[in-house]
Amino acid sequence: MKKSALAVLLAAAMTVGCAPAAVMAEESAKPFEGVTLSMWIYSAEYNEGTQAIMAKATEELGMEFAVEISPGGTEGDNIIKTKCASGDLPDIVNYNSGSLLAALNPKEHFLDITDEEMTAKFDETFTSTVSQEDRIYGAPFTTTQGGAVVYWKPDYEELGLEIPKTWDEFVANCQALKDAGKTPLYLSGGDTWTAQVLFLGDNYNVLAKNSAFADEFTAGTAKFESDEGGLRSWKKYEDLVDMYNADSTAAKYDDGLEAMATGQATHWIMLTQIVPVMVANHPEAAENIGVFAVPGDDAENVGLTVWEPNSWYISKDSENAEAALAFLDFWYQEENMNEYIGYMGANGPSCIKGFTLPESVPDAIRVDMQKYFDEGKTAPALEFMTPVKGATCSQISTSAALGQIDGATAAQMYDEDCKKSAVQQGLGWE
Amino acid sequence: MKSKNRDNKLYSFWFVVPSLVIFSVFFLYPIITSLYYSMTVWNFDSATFCGLDNYKMFFSENSLSSSIVHTLIYAFLTSGLKVIIAFFLAVFLCSKIRTKGFIRSAVFFPNLVSTMAVGLTFSYLMHPTKGVFNLALQALGFSPINFLGDMNLALYSVIATDVWKGLSISVVIYIAGVQSIDKTYYEAASIDGANAWQQLKSITLPLVAPSQNSIIILSLIGGLRTFDLIWAMTGGGPGFATDVMASVIYKQYAYGFYGLSTAGNVIMLVLISCIAFPLQHFLMKREEAIQ
Repeated sequence: MKKSALAVLLAAAMTVGCAPAAVMAEESAKPFEGVTLSMWIYSAEYNEGTQAIMAKATEELGMEFAVEISPGGTEGDNIIKTKCASGDLPDIVNYNSGSLLAALNPKEHFLDITDEEMTAKFDETFTSTVSQEDRIYGAPFTTTQGGAVVYWKPDYEELGLEIPKTWDEFVANCQALKDAGKTPLYLSGGDTWTAQVLFLGDNYNVLAKNSAFADEFTAGTAKFESDEGGLRSWKKYEDLVDMYNADSTAAKYDDGLEAMATGQATHWIMLTQIVPVMVANHPEAAENIGVFAVPGDDAENVGLTVWEPNSWYISKDSENAEAALAFLDFWYQEENMNEYIGYMGANGPSCIKGFTLPESVPDAIRVDMQKYFDEGKTAPALEFMTPVKGATCSQISTSAALGQIDGATAAQMYDEDCKKSAVQQGLGWE
Repeated sequence: MKSKNRDNKLYSFWFVVPSLVIFSVFFLYPIITSLYYSMTVWNFDSATFCGLDNYKMFFSENSLSSSIVHTLIYAFLTSGLKVIIAFFLAVFLCSKIRTKGFIRSAVFFPNLVSTMAVGLTFSYLMHPTKGVFNLALQALGFSPINFLGDMNLALYSVIATDVWKGLSISVVIYIAGVQSIDKTYYEAASIDGANAWQQLKSITLPLVAPSQNSIIILSLIGGLRTFDLIWAMTGGGPGFATDVMASVIYKQYAYGFYGLSTAGNVIMLVLISCIAFPLQHFLMKREEAIQ
């Protein structure tokens, strides 16, 4: 008994004696030792890559993180709104860009980072989705992604097809593929949200015809039924009704991943988030998959509709703003961005100007999509520009894709649907 | 006078209070508040009164109003088919056949499987290219049918599945009804020279009326409220082709249109009451008339 008591005492004395010495030795190298940054983040964003960079930041800069996971969806939106209203925002918030951010009224709650050094590196299409009255509040969390046509290169080579510059050329390519006995286009109607991507990914072409469309639409003056470009988006479904795979009504998103990665269909109009997944499952697909933007009517103006990533925001009242900014600076160091992509892959080009995607990223993204960014031919998807989105968009686009309704009817139904959303959101249309 | 009154009052009023409280808290109060919220634009924090706009929208917007039509088709067709098919099955299962026990279990089996599982299984069976039904059709030389993908057919495919699954309960109720019929009626009839068909028509059919009425009411209300099978098989699609009231209400709720969704629930309540109460009244009358 006595011996063991002595041993405990000794052990305690040793730890007490040693601990402060160890801390003191490293303190000088870590500017933010002892700072704990509170953070609010979605579980999908709090992934392996994020955690690795955060651990690295703790190691090199010293700040610790207290992470709170958002439940996501409207529930997450409500919690963040409550936190804003009660002045209880964490130091760092990882949240959506675009209209969901606008709903929080960022200038009241988040730190203005317009004049920070890192902000100059952000792509302008991105910053337009995190700005309020020309001041910038958000920093991009990860890479972008596009709503675009993913295609199987070997079929194009086999039939000697060119990448289409206009919608009519695209339809002609599909017809040629059909005549050659191939499945020109994939549709995963079993997961209805996937049918929306043609419509949503056509926003670049809508804005090309009417650059003020988004604002007019939010105000309730522009309608898809009457806007030339808007109606055109819905009519595009009509041209494709006969081009789909035989099981288009039942196929799921995962079936599409498999079919495209093995060349069973030539095109899939989808979010480019599928590229890293397909390549992970079928590494040989990396060389065979390409991406081009949803074509419009003007061969001279072909551009990509881009889904911007979520963003980092810093609370305006944070006492640790300096540490939070240092963390963001750390996040955008080339080495760390590469490390993140090493873990998670890239769904599209980066929002950081001058950053080159590592060689490990497939050509479809590193070359095909990057081209549009380098030429400045990108536009954000409509959902980043207006809070109004028709709730049954996925059902209407499925009906249009399957040829159950024509483009004009779909446009009219979608306008009605948006009106319903606007009324229920209290935007006061009519 | 006073003492007489007290004699008549067997039980104290206070005995009613517990159930009255439960009834008010869990039934009356929700109905009244939902009536109010159905006339608002409501986001849980604040409710803005908008009169009957939500109701107007429910009836005027095609995607919502078509669900009412689908619900009625679904309810009447499933109910009708169950009443007719289950009757013949029950009569067959009450006759003198050797494998009666086994067939009875087999008929009841679908009811033991969860609706979601039935829905998913049938949606795989009805898959346009890989489903067993279509593989069988193609093997027999027919062209494949897109059971759940064809806008005009999808609702009926779900109805057929519902009948397959829901038949068992109806058969069990019918069997109980058929077995409770006194055997002497049949003996008397056969002595009088009535053939099997005449016995079925004039003895069995009228005397199972009480069971039949239960089946009609149960299956009709079940059909009007249906949600899980539709959700598992089509999710209301393709497009809006199989959206019924319950699935539409669920969707409006999921979109955050709480006021509109509540209005849908009120409409559904009224619709079910308007169909079920007069129907029950009518069926009771018919039952009394027979006896």
